[in-house]
Amino acid sequence: MMLVREILALLFFASAVVFGIGGVVGLFRFPDPYSRLQAGSLAGTTAVVSVFFGALLLAPNWAIAARIIVIIVFFLISAPTGAHIVARFTWNSGLDPWRPPLQKRSGPDEDTDETERPRRRR
Amino acid sequence: MRPEHIWNLTRFLLTTGALFGVWLLFSPSLEPFSLGAGLIGSVLLGALTYKEFIAQHDASLGSFMPHPQWLVVFLGVLIFYLYQSSWKMLGAILTGRANPRIVHFRTRLRSDLARMVLSNSITFTPGTITLDLNDDHLTVHWFFCNTSHAKLAGETVKGRMEQHLRKVWL
Repeated sequence: MMLVREILALLFFASAVVFGIGGVVGLFRFPDPYSRLQAGSLAGTTAVVSVFFGALLLAPNWAIAARIIVIIVFFLISAPTGAHIVARFTWNSGLDPWRPPLQKRSGPDEDTDETERPRRRR
Repeated sequence: MRPEHIWNLTRFLLTTGALFGVWLLFSPSLEPFSLGAGLIGSVLLGALTYKEFIAQHDASLGSFMPHPQWLVVFLGVLIFYLYQSSWKMLGAILTGRANPRIVHFRTRLRSDLARMVLSNSITFTPGTITLDLNDDHLTVHWFFCNTSHAKLAGETVKGRMEQHLRKVWL
């Protein structure tokens, strides 16, 4: 039983490493703050949550498991809030989102809309 | 007692109770000194911060007290979305294929807390970050945008999370 838990925990730790590296690569690969936040915050959150899940599987008793669950909930509240605050300041400063080159787009290719001009507050 | 006073007392007691619960969880001793210190600290903090924790205009318990069974379901759904979106994001990081857009839509949720949780959860779902939350109006940076139809975009980004959240809070 302990062995199964250890193997599962190791899987969670390994996925944390994969997501963490992915987040850092995305942070350096994308050109603008929004996309960097997407990569950094999302992959970073998943990495840390994976570590917590691994720790949850290895928890020796229920008291410690309950504390880890509370820490996970707190982290799930605080991590996206931090990303949101940075993104909000970027948005309020009036920055256009980055558009990838045409052949690399995953969605429709219309590029002539002027509806997304950012608000100029200052 | 006037209704405002009852409401103030309710908010104070709920805040103190929540703080004391966290204290019990993190100080796993039931000695009188520990319990007393936690109680005094909870009462002091509750008296100072109940106005911040529970806004006065949230004048119904349903707007901030979650239904616990649906909260657990929602947390499970959230964790599932977190992993799903992370795999998608990893793919986008490796291939560089994306279509970032900024979309606007509205939410049907009514309480402040539920809207806050929704905007936090949107930051988890596949490549979306909430930029702004203005009453019921959300501004979202969407990394894999596939439509310029505002209502459709809202339904895609909010996904099933809004339906789950409506069961948890008002």
